Amino acid sequence: MKFIASDRIDGLLERLGERGPVWAPREPEGAAGTVLFAPWRPGDAVELDRFTTLSAKKLVLPASEKLLSFSYSLTPEGEALDITGADQGRGDTVLFGARVCDARAFTVLDALLALPPGESYQDPGYRSRRRNLLVITLACTAGDAACFCSSWKEGTASTQGSDLMLYPAGEGYLARSVSPRGEELLALDIWEDSDLEPPELAVTDRVPFEALEAKLVGSLFSDLDFWRELTAKCVSCGYCTYTCPTCYCFDMYDEMSSSRDGERCRSWDACMFYLYTLETSGHNPRPTIAHRYRNRIGHKFSYYPANQGPVLCTGCGRCIRGCPVGLDIRDVLRAAGER
Amino acid sequence: MSTIPRQGKKALEPLRPEKATVVDVIRETHNIKSLRVVFDDEELMTSFTFQPGQVGQLGVMGAGESTFAIASPPSQREYIQFSVMKTGVVTTAIHELAVGDRVTVRAPMGNHFPVDRWQGKNVLVIGGGIGMAPLRSLFLHMMDHREEYGHLQLIYGARTPSDICYRDDCRDWKQCGDVDFITTIDTGNQDWEGRVGLVPAVLEEEEPSPENNIAVTCGPPVMIKFVLESLGKMGFRDEQIYTTLERRMKCGIGLCGRCNVGPRYVCTDGPVFSLKELGELPDEM
Repeated sequence: MKFIASDRIDGLLERLGERGPVWAPREPEGAAGTVLFAPWRPGDAVELDRFTTLSAKKLVLPASEKLLSFSYSLTPEGEALDITGADQGRGDTVLFGARVCDARAFTVLDALLALPPGESYQDPGYRSRRRNLLVITLACTAGDAACFCSSWKEGTASTQGSDLMLYPAGEGYLARSVSPRGEELLALDIWEDSDLEPPELAVTDRVPFEALEAKLVGSLFSDLDFWRELTAKCVSCGYCTYTCPTCYCFDMYDEMSSSRDGERCRSWDACMFYLYTLETSGHNPRPTIAHRYRNRIGHKFSYYPANQGPVLCTGCGRCIRGCPVGLDIRDVLRAAGER
Repeated sequence: MSTIPRQGKKALEPLRPEKATVVDVIRETHNIKSLRVVFDDEELMTSFTFQPGQVGQLGVMGAGESTFAIASPPSQREYIQFSVMKTGVVTTAIHELAVGDRVTVRAPMGNHFPVDRWQGKNVLVIGGGIGMAPLRSLFLHMMDHREEYGHLQLIYGARTPSDICYRDDCRDWKQCGDVDFITTIDTGNQDWEGRVGLVPAVLEEEEPSPENNIAVTCGPPVMIKFVLESLGKMGFRDEQIYTTLERRMKCGIGLCGRCNVGPRYVCTDGPVFSLKELGELPDEM
């Protein structure tokens, strides 16, 4: 297998940088010990031992993006309105140091947002960003207490969504391409040949959820008390949705830059917010946290798999690590399974 | 048939609306206006088709866009009509529009009343308040194809006489003699010549036969609730009853996430559902 020594990773990143912006797990200045996927520039330290607090989804679904620009003007014929689409053209972006759960999240999102034309509406920005994203994934030899990706068949061995896999070995990383674009990267003259053995990969927590698809639209849906009890400590802050690599729901809104010009934008939204479904009449079909959490779990483990195929979760554990009240989605799934 | 294609070059910009111009504003009631709009792209206007029950996103750039039922019938090729109750930010901006103002439209969206499957049947239409908007499109469509349907009955309720929309249409329907048209109001006054009483009560007085009949209802949630109960009492089966759902919507194309009822999205799988279909969905109204 191909191999790169740890002290040559910077050299690899520089070569990757020739293809486009490189994003890597880093502890950005002022991040107070938090590791995030951030733009990498020569000289920046890469943090490959700790997990990132936020997922890499912003590379395909920015937290906020412009969809359209518009401009009103007065002409002799009266008021005129110009609308310009946002420029979707862009070159490659390289994501370095994603984990298996991060990379797999892209394929989960693809099932809705990048279907072939004709099968679904096309997401205006997602497709082009996704098409131009190169994903270099670091396989996990250790998980933490919140990881549960082994709930899926391939677990930590999955290569879905990746172009190139890196496996910790010796004083560096073994590399294996899993796509034609990954193959191109392996052709760079930066790799050494190695006869090191690939490492034993981590086995994380396993949570059974297969039986939930039917229950979540049936007996569990009508059992609002179950959801009330489970979410009694939830404060509806939306942390779980913002850190989730597969939560894709968005809000759309207009912002004026002058009395005549503005932009139509979209931003991440959170199904845990009261305002998310509040109607102008005052009616809210999901008025309490229990209603909203039921929808969140239902969407991830029943509606999305029924409509799109994959479960809308990859077991990354971010919503568990950061929840301010310690609400653990695994407890919810287990309790739901036993109900 | 859609201006929001799922294929081709334009499919890549499903959130980009078409420009349109207001050609007529009709004040229906103190808080409802009907706007007639025309696509600026003439070719698009000529080729625009839809089915009764479909919706569109009418927008004012700077304020945003919202989903409204198309209130004009498919046979109306001169303009597209939306009826808008002033309630929030977008609807307030729409209410401020005048003839000649620029708006945006994404339409048609969503599913429609299965009018082809109703051929040869009697159709009972029950509307309340602004809920008449999609039913106007439906009823005018059935009048356009009158020979394809059996008995047509329309029960239209509003709170007070001044809350009645579509006065010209009401006059036509009353006079045409070919349809059974009943208006009712919750509270009458001395000038009111129609019925007085809540829609479900009037429906029960009329007691239409469920035999070979389709019932379609749209209106305030509380009216729909009791209309459905009354229809059930009269022997209508769930598959004979249709209604339209409303939800807060943003994208209108099944991506932004908020308008689902369980696994179904009102924007793309609806807004029209039979009561049978609704019965199969989780209860999240």
